Amino acid sequence: MSESIASLIAEMEEERTLAQVKEALDAGRDPLSIVEELREGMAVVGKRFEEKEYFLPDLILSAEIFKQAIALIEPHLQAVDTPSRGSIVIGTVQGDIHDIGKNIVATMLRCSGYDVHDLGVDVTPQSFVEKVKETGSGLLALSGLLTLAFDSMKETVQALEKAGLRDRVKVIIGGGPVNETVVGYSGADAYGKDPAEALKLAGIYLG
Amino acid sequence: MTREDRTLDKRDTMTAEERLRAVINLQVPDRVPASSLNNYFAGSYGGITMRQVWDDPQAFRAALFKCWEDLGPWDFHYPVNVRYPELYSFVMPMKARWPGMNLPDDCIHQLLEEEVLAPEDYGWVTSISRQTPNWSYIRLSKRVASRIWQQVEEGWRGYVYLLPRFLHHLATWAKEFEMWKRKGLAILYSLIIEAPFDYFSLARGLVPFIKDVRSRSEEIVTATDALIDGYVRICRLVAGLLRVPRIEIAVHRSASDFISPQTFRELSFPSLKKLVEKLLLHNITPILHCDGNWDLNLETLRELPAGSAMVQFDGPTDIFLAKRVIGDRVCIMGDVPNHLLCLGSENEVDEYCHRLIEEVGRDGGYVMGAGCEIPPNAKPENVRTMFQSVFKYGYYNK
Repeated sequence: MSESIASLIAEMEEERTLAQVKEALDAGRDPLSIVEELREGMAVVGKRFEEKEYFLPDLILSAEIFKQAIALIEPHLQAVDTPSRGSIVIGTVQGDIHDIGKNIVATMLRCSGYDVHDLGVDVTPQSFVEKVKETGSGLLALSGLLTLAFDSMKETVQALEKAGLRDRVKVIIGGGPVNETVVGYSGADAYGKDPAEALKLAGIYLG
Repeated sequence: MTREDRTLDKRDTMTAEERLRAVINLQVPDRVPASSLNNYFAGSYGGITMRQVWDDPQAFRAALFKCWEDLGPWDFHYPVNVRYPELYSFVMPMKARWPGMNLPDDCIHQLLEEEVLAPEDYGWVTSISRQTPNWSYIRLSKRVASRIWQQVEEGWRGYVYLLPRFLHHLATWAKEFEMWKRKGLAILYSLIIEAPFDYFSLARGLVPFIKDVRSRSEEIVTATDALIDGYVRICRLVAGLLRVPRIEIAVHRSASDFISPQTFRELSFPSLKKLVEKLLLHNITPILHCDGNWDLNLETLRELPAGSAMVQFDGPTDIFLAKRVIGDRVCIMGDVPNHLLCLGSENEVDEYCHRLIEEVGRDGGYVMGAGCEIPPNAKPENVRTMFQSVFKYGYYNK
């Protein structure tokens, strides 16, 4: 009996995961159910990461497999509306151009079924506000590696308040020097110390 | 200059150099010493631009001196202001944006996560290390510099460009070192290098390197091992020229934030340990700068030779756990966190430093310092509180 797609991706079996996905598609299986199973596998990866059984490379490699699997499935999804768990705007704040952590979080959020609008690096508070307005996102994820990013995070939260959006938008922050103190300073709602915590926060705020 | 002239406080019974040697040897000094990784903070406090921090040594010296007078003293000069950005490729093999070049004058430089080395370069490194073992590190770093900077050409012209700048950099540091020694400080090290495994992680880019770890682990081990003699050669050369027998080995990518403890043990640590051992054979003390969370790697670090190295942690590592696990093996430096220096109160900084001194400083083998670099937007009063804590709480014979 073949192993489930969820367990294969959770074990980071790249070739076997992709082969199983192809096989399932050829057999006419509902593409959305395959996506759902891939996400279940990614949830297992996230859990193992939290339990320190897996580490960052495992998150990255499993996300790579997920992306390849989705590329196989996408042609079969054209006529179907993929259900989204919610919309998130993400970016590295003004004055900071570090993006590796932000990119990993964005990928993990996408793999988990969220619509992610990644504004890149050195993003001004106004650009964040405009994107939140445009997309109607309920969650704003701000990243920064420098301590100088603390002020930019604060200014971004203030810009959201000024635009009258703060009540309906949750703000999470992350990056090397960020912790609970920075949450208080910036006026954000919470911080994620790693990609798994960011995912968990997205689950809390968006479902 | 008398011995008394070289002490920093009338209660001191050791010079800073004696104190440094004592803590590295895990002996109990007269008091806990303090070290200052102070680059961009000195710039902002001293009122110069971030561009001047690297391109105007005189202005930078004045800014750092103002910090020393207003907020110090500290025991160890911790130099990081590489004189030319092109030479920075020898320290961290990554592309970067620089103030005054492709960033505004008052921004700090920022690293870019891009591929500078290709997968084929593992084999090339192994090959040149066999041909010219003593020069492999320089040849590799020159190749990296050529790929980052247009003005550093491939071939011998690249060396012609870099050599005078390297000598000028050494002369600048030599001048700074003499100034600080006259003020009674010890110089922490003469050169910064990146640990072999971490060098490739930075130069390949995190995601490509993670894939390499999975598919090219043997090539990585072979290349990192082959490079060791080249590392030792440049360390001996610079330590000799600047007469500071200590080298900083930055280990930016081996924390369990980036790789698993198993990968650290099997792929990163072997070449790091070999490098440490070979430097010690040449009477050069390694100072490991360990960014990120090392909690799960501490047991492995116990294999470092006892009483002969220093390890700096930058905040995410539980430094109190580190004291319990490796405190009998290596000297520990750190780790007043950046968020505390930027956002905390003087009282909070004082309490944290007191705890560091009481717990990590117990029985010696400890150096007070910031977690990594003092951030440019740290509160000056917090920086002063950190440095003053060693005079307030740090004397061993109270």
